[in-house]
Amino acid sequence: MDFALPPLHILAQATLGPEAIALLSASAISAAGLALLMQPGRKSGNNQNGSKFRFEGLRIAGTVIALAGFAMLLVEVIKRAASDGESASIPPVFPMIFGTVALAGATRMVTHPKPVFAALYFILVVIATAGMFLLLGAEFMAFALVIVYAGAILITYMFVLMLAQQSPVEGVGDAWYDRVPRESISAVFVGFVMLATLADAYFSGTTQRFLADRRVDGETRSVELAWDRLDAMPKLLLETAQGAYRAQWKAETAANSATDSAAATTGEGTAPKLASIVRKADGTALSRMDGGRRIEAKLADGSTVVVSIPDAMLPDNSRQVGVDLVSKFPAGLEIAGVVLLMALFGAVILARKQIELGEDERRGLAGMRRITVDGEAGGLR
Amino acid sequence: MSLTASLSSILAPLPATLADAASATIKPAVASPDLSWAGLILLLPAISAVLCGLCAARGVKGKLPGVITALSLLGAFALTLMLYMRCPTDAPRTIHLFDWVSFAWGSGAAEGAKWTSFLAPFSLYVDSLTLLWMLFVTGLGSLIAIYATEYMESDVGKGYARFFGAVSIFLFAMGSLVMGGNLILLYLGWEGVGLASYLLIGYYYSKPSAVAAAKKAFIVNRIGDLGLALGIFLIWVNYGTVEYDALFQAVTASTDSLNDGSEWTKAAIPYCLMLGAFGKSAQFPLYVWLPDAMEGPTPVSALIHAATMVTAGIYLIARTYPLFQLDPGALTVVATIGCITALLAATIGMAQYDIKRVMAYSTVSQLGYMFLGLGVGTTFGAVYHVFTHAFFKALLFLCCGAIMHGMAGQLDLRKMSGLRNVKGFGIISWTFLIGCLCLAGFPFTAGFFSKDSIIAQAFGSGNDRFVLLGWIAVFTAFLTAYYTFRVWFRVCGGPTKYEPGDELHGHGGDDHGHGHGHGHGADDGHGHGGEWHPHGPRLAINGVLLLICLGAILAAVPAYLGGPHQENNWVMKMVSHSSAVGGIPAHDHGASHGADAHAHHALSFTGIADVHTATSVVASVAGILGIAIAAFFHLFNRKAADGLRQTLLSNSLTRWLPIAMENKWYVDEIYHATLRVPARALGHIFEFFDKSVIDGVFVDGGARIPAGLARVFQPLYNGVLQGYAWTMAFGVALIAAWVFWLWLQGGAA
Amino acid sequence: MIASPFSSANPSLLLNSSMHAILPSSAELSTPALLASSDAATVNIALLVSALLFACGLVGFLSRRNMIIMFLCTELMFQAAALAMIAFGKVHGDLSGQVFVIFILTVAAAEAALALGLVVLLYRRRETLDSEAWSELREA
Repeated sequence: MDFALPPLHILAQATLGPEAIALLSASAISAAGLALLMQPGRKSGNNQNGSKFRFEGLRIAGTVIALAGFAMLLVEVIKRAASDGESASIPPVFPMIFGTVALAGATRMVTHPKPVFAALYFILVVIATAGMFLLLGAEFMAFALVIVYAGAILITYMFVLMLAQQSPVEGVGDAWYDRVPRESISAVFVGFVMLATLADAYFSGTTQRFLADRRVDGETRSVELAWDRLDAMPKLLLETAQGAYRAQWKAETAANSATDSAAATTGEGTAPKLASIVRKADGTALSRMDGGRRIEAKLADGSTVVVSIPDAMLPDNSRQVGVDLVSKFPAGLEIAGVVLLMALFGAVILARKQIELGEDERRGLAGMRRITVDGEAGGLR
Repeated sequence: MSLTASLSSILAPLPATLADAASATIKPAVASPDLSWAGLILLLPAISAVLCGLCAARGVKGKLPGVITALSLLGAFALTLMLYMRCPTDAPRTIHLFDWVSFAWGSGAAEGAKWTSFLAPFSLYVDSLTLLWMLFVTGLGSLIAIYATEYMESDVGKGYARFFGAVSIFLFAMGSLVMGGNLILLYLGWEGVGLASYLLIGYYYSKPSAVAAAKKAFIVNRIGDLGLALGIFLIWVNYGTVEYDALFQAVTASTDSLNDGSEWTKAAIPYCLMLGAFGKSAQFPLYVWLPDAMEGPTPVSALIHAATMVTAGIYLIARTYPLFQLDPGALTVVATIGCITALLAATIGMAQYDIKRVMAYSTVSQLGYMFLGLGVGTTFGAVYHVFTHAFFKALLFLCCGAIMHGMAGQLDLRKMSGLRNVKGFGIISWTFLIGCLCLAGFPFTAGFFSKDSIIAQAFGSGNDRFVLLGWIAVFTAFLTAYYTFRVWFRVCGGPTKYEPGDELHGHGGDDHGHGHGHGHGADDGHGHGGEWHPHGPRLAINGVLLLICLGAILAAVPAYLGGPHQENNWVMKMVSHSSAVGGIPAHDHGASHGADAHAHHALSFTGIADVHTATSVVASVAGILGIAIAAFFHLFNRKAADGLRQTLLSNSLTRWLPIAMENKWYVDEIYHATLRVPARALGHIFEFFDKSVIDGVFVDGGARIPAGLARVFQPLYNGVLQGYAWTMAFGVALIAAWVFWLWLQGGAA
Repeated sequence: MIASPFSSANPSLLLNSSMHAILPSSAELSTPALLASSDAATVNIALLVSALLFACGLVGFLSRRNMIIMFLCTELMFQAAALAMIAFGKVHGDLSGQVFVIFILTVAAAEAALALGLVVLLYRRRETLDSEAWSELREA
């Protein structure tokens, strides 16, 4: 890629296509909705007339606008997925549901004045994301996400929140710094730029064509890779072959029994155990066949049988992820362990650290008047 | 071009004697590798300087640096004597020590074609002029170093090593100035002596006046040095060499006169060199630094600012005399300036009360005589006067120093009297007297002969202008005799009466401690009323005074042995075997005496035929008259002097005279008004320009652009974590958008 | 390419396939093209949700003052990144995306441990969670 600065005349000539304009405007509408939602909420306990209506109105308007923007984005996105020839009359309901829940939770988390609620909304986001993971075929990661995030990390956050959060006092309400976001408009603007860039990058025609091409490959490639992984795991391979052989043997026995009742009676029982897998010259055991793989195995009596294993008998996602983790990223795995250990040490050291408060700060904590002016001392401003 | 030509035409026509003298040739130099040990004359002071520097760095407490310097200078003197004995004077000798500056370019460099190479080897050019100069430089240098070992003893462990280091540097630089075989080496020495002079004038650097004097000397000398540098450049441009030997051959080979108006670059050479000489030798208008230079320690005044360094200008002109001979107009300028300086300085010297300042002005005045001698065409007279003056002026300064040493820094001649009767000051008084007699040109002293040879040449030159200058010189001789004996009669004559000086005077700085460390006990301390009494000098000072006094007396011996026209004078022989040979008056070569007729006319009222005899008589009369008047006013009837002063002051017509003389004719003030004030105003203008335009518009204005930009972006850096995070995130978003944009461009193409 | 959703669809996407099976419309129209289209839409929606989650997290990080919520927002951005990785992994048929999500989880956990420790320290020092209480990062 040429990293020269784009000449300005190209920028001047550049015209955004209608699709890009649609994405941009949808992003802008979503951002506008979020910006409205970000506005400071009503101070609880403050019953000034009018303020309540105003803030609630802003909130409702923001929700409507944000939902509209999200809906526009969804329509655009689904339209693009179906743009390569076929028309998708069936909207993917589950992804839409999970996505909507995740985004609603995220929005609420960002805007909620109570940190505990924000954390709880984050759990909702995590669960919805885990649902998306499931839809994308990442079962292990979906459950891991729920367990690790919702179960462990978020609980830690909750503990810290409860430790640090000033206890709400009757009539005072939420903390000032939780109610009033800082520079929400500019923050939303940055978020909009990021979103627009990402959306345009994800959903431009080039990307979509690229994704479409890769997706067809990916479907077959994932099966190929899964067979390769299985081939690399002798024990699992033997087990899988045994299972396939059992089904195969049963089918054969049933077929035999249909013609030869004697054989059927004598052959009644369990299939013979496979003793070992016969490997080919190149070290692999599996041979291609339509809809699965064929494998040669030796029985206990030394005779060789050919077992057909259908694609459906491949190992599940968790096993495959585990194999990839240890076979493709062993160094990363080790480093992850070290990172966790260091984080453990760091957390312990930080937790043991004694804060030496200055004279002034001790006075402040003891409820006495601080010597320096609060604002100057870096306190609340 | 036209300027110099018109200047020459305004000035005198070509004197006949000079035209004859120009025919005198300078023999080509003979390379003498066997004399390369002469390089030790330069090496010894250099080693001494390094050792003194080491002593200073190691903080040596003791007289070791002085001993080192004195020994090395004595060694250099011995080597010079040896060189004098061994070196034949039939032709100049060049001694190549090592290649120093050596550039060659263009074809023909190997064949020695001109302007194809620039060669300035570290070589020595030894002819009798060199030897003469080196003899008194190293001789007086060693004696004064010995003197200084005692004189500077109060600074032992403080500035002692620094002092002697600078003296060693001076001797090295003076040696390379005098002995160097080319103008570049001369320039090295020229700047080196300037540096040493600066260091030594500013020796008492904690004293503001000393620092100011050092700066003044340095800056005024820069003006002269610029002239010298330009002269050297022009010499190279015109003759293609800076080596004396080749230069003199080139100059004597060319027959064309310099002032034919064809090449101004050639005509400007003597004027440029002259400017350098005037700066270093303290001639009008650049003399102002020398009286102030007396802020340095007295041995320095004696060695550098009386005997040796200030004669470098004389040396320069004597050495490059062939160039001056080509332009008589330039020589006339030299003579005129010398004469003006002599008179001006003498009149100022008459009215000073500080004896060192009197001596300083007398030095300026005597240097004027020397330039007069050079200008009127007697290099012999000039060099002989340099030679004798070196002895008697060094003697006078050393006497002043000894008095100052013994009188706790007292230099005011009104506050001392009758020192000849004070115990321990006898030698000082009588050697002082001899020095004064020499300076005053008392008959049959060394100064008498050397000064007369100059005045006689002025009278005998057959040039009206020079005759006028000669009469001025005679009048100056009278003034010289007066102010010299004014000092002696005031200080050594009369009733014994003295008061100690502010011991800081002339020494400066709280690190001086003069009078404490003498080993005489506490009684010779400073200013304790009745307890104080002066102390006489000890062996080193007295011995050196006697030796130099002997030298001053013996300096007259060559004149006695010289014969009727000084043709057998030793100095004459030395000069006539050098590049200054062109300045030997023509009749001394036995050539035409045609000019004498004119001289008879000039001096016809004396009724004496011989111009030399006539001059002797006139100058003797002038000198004795000056001494007599000084005796009347300052020995027998001191009230009359004050009365005269009061009379002059009371008369509105004459009151300006003593005031102007005491204020040195306001030359410093004139310089201040004409040079310093405009320069300062110009400096203020430049400063304003610099501050407002360069600094204000360009620098600060340039800085205001990023500052303005910074003010735009400043809110992003508000110290809040999220502010920075916002900046970073926005930047990341923009970069992502840009990369995506480029990717789209690439993908679309 | 893909003969039937059950015989030739990626078995590793069994749950996904069964999800489609649960969908009545998908079950009725179990043509490969529709399934593929549905998968494409899923991936696209996942990417969209990822982008939106990231933007939300960014906005929250930049505008919320509570330090704990700021860190929660970084976790949100982690989620977005993880979702994008898995979506692209799905497209490529490669499990590396999922493996990387494991690493993201690791880093998130480590970050949470350290960040929360720091937050607690900061809180003890100033008795507030306001990030603007710490504004010494500027000059003067």
